[in-house]
Amino acid sequence: MPNFTLLLYRLPASARPSSPDEFAARMKTYMAWTDRIRAEGRYKGGQKLMDDAGKILTPAGGRVSITDGPYAESKELLGGFYIISAKDYDDACQVAETSPHLSYGGRIEVRQIHEL
Amino acid sequence: MAEADALAGELFRREAGKIAAWLARLLGPSRLDLIEDAVQDAFAAALARWPDDGVPARPSGWLATAARNRALDRLKREARNAPFDDDAAWRLGFADPEETGKLDDTLALMFVACHPALEREEQTMLVLKTVCGFGVKEIARAYLSTEEAVTQRLVRAKRKIKGLGLAFAIPEGPELAARLPALIAAIYLLFNSGYTAGEGEALLRRELCAEALRLAGLLTEHCATATGEAHALAALIAFHHARAGARTNGEGALILLADQDREAWDRTLIARGFAHLEAAMAAPALTPLHLEAAIAGTHAAAPSFEATDWRMLAHYYAALEELKPTPVVRLNAAVAFAQAEGPAAGLARLDALAGARKLARYALYHAARGSLLQKLGRGAEAAEAFTAALACPITEPERAHLERERAACTAARGQVNSTAEISMSIVSPFPESGKTSAS
Repeated sequence: MPNFTLLLYRLPASARPSSPDEFAARMKTYMAWTDRIRAEGRYKGGQKLMDDAGKILTPAGGRVSITDGPYAESKELLGGFYIISAKDYDDACQVAETSPHLSYGGRIEVRQIHEL
Repeated sequence: MAEADALAGELFRREAGKIAAWLARLLGPSRLDLIEDAVQDAFAAALARWPDDGVPARPSGWLATAARNRALDRLKREARNAPFDDDAAWRLGFADPEETGKLDDTLALMFVACHPALEREEQTMLVLKTVCGFGVKEIARAYLSTEEAVTQRLVRAKRKIKGLGLAFAIPEGPELAARLPALIAAIYLLFNSGYTAGEGEALLRRELCAEALRLAGLLTEHCATATGEAHALAALIAFHHARAGARTNGEGALILLADQDREAWDRTLIARGFAHLEAAMAAPALTPLHLEAAIAGTHAAAPSFEATDWRMLAHYYAALEELKPTPVVRLNAAVAFAQAEGPAAGLARLDALAGARKLARYALYHAARGSLLQKLGRGAEAAEAFTAALACPITEPERAHLERERAACTAARGQVNSTAEISMSIVSPFPESGKTSAS
């Protein structure tokens, strides 16, 4: 079965949890979701990225320019990713659709990993 | 119901340490308290739910998941007094509860627990608590201490660790070399307390020794910690632990080396000991542990007490004396020398040690003298020596044995018998065991 990566973009600033309680309650829904896809044997891995904007490397006239990520809004920033196995895009999207991330207002991009 | 209870009990010790190490990686070693509580909560939840719901298909994953969830709750509670650590919460969120039990995590936790800022006993107590999953009650029994006192020491130890702000990792480079000896010493001490724990504690004693064996084995499985000394430690413990079943009779009374049923020794474990000893000898540096392991191996390889290679033992002890000239080592060396060269030569060596303060109150020293004097036909002096031994701190089985020896001196005065060999074996082949057994 092919693997897909689910790229989770960060929530818009207005949609962030307002208290540790809310944060923890949301975290539990992410955990429960991950536990479920793990139990289904679909989970292949996942990582959260740091909350900073990272660096962008750009070739510029034979040199490389390194700048801070030029993101105007947090929702353009990749927050983390999962790797899951699925039959096809439909199947992968069906899994992604159940992620609590969407219900909190976060965007998910699904990309198939090219198996080499 | 009872089945679920028993399973949870058996699982607890095995899984608690694995889950604690996994959580320590995710949450950092300064949160050992939170981690212990979360693990405790998870086991309480298992005890509450499994009897009704049945044991889950993957109990260890279930427990790790429950501990992770509880850890998150506690992390949230932590936010009452400090900013919420959402990084730690995310790490929990992304962690895989099926990934507990990684060697790196367990060793990193051992390095935390054995940090040089902690006292020796704090180190071993913390290893027992966090890495081995022992309860405060069992630790108190192992250390002949009270639960309150052990709790206090653990609190202090964890506070020290918190203050250090340690990274959760196996040290590298010169730091690794500097800190590994503390792990080896803690495991040695753990084994020693198991080997010499009080009578009536046979089960606890075997568990402590089995844990020490497991931990020493772990050191030898990781390329960072598999030094010659670590292999020597694993060999030493394997040789001694192989005799565990033959060391006590049905009533839990001590059986001396000379009288042990060698058929009951665990040959598989002895073979494992020799594999470790071989690996230890391949390392460039010779440490006291190498010699202690070689000594224990010589005993383990002997077909009978009489057929033991005493000359080889005397040779090993002589080398050990060079590296570690403690009174107890010199006592053992003298006894081995007596077996190899005869009682008169051994007695001369023992008498040369008469001034050592540590030995004055050490029963085995006087008992060894008594046995050699008896062997030389000097019954009255032998009886005096046994009387001196009886005045030292001893366990009940030792007392019974020494009284029999003393009675034999007066009953058969002048008769040369073989009690020297028997008393000889009261001298622990574990050269430093005097610390706990004689005090």
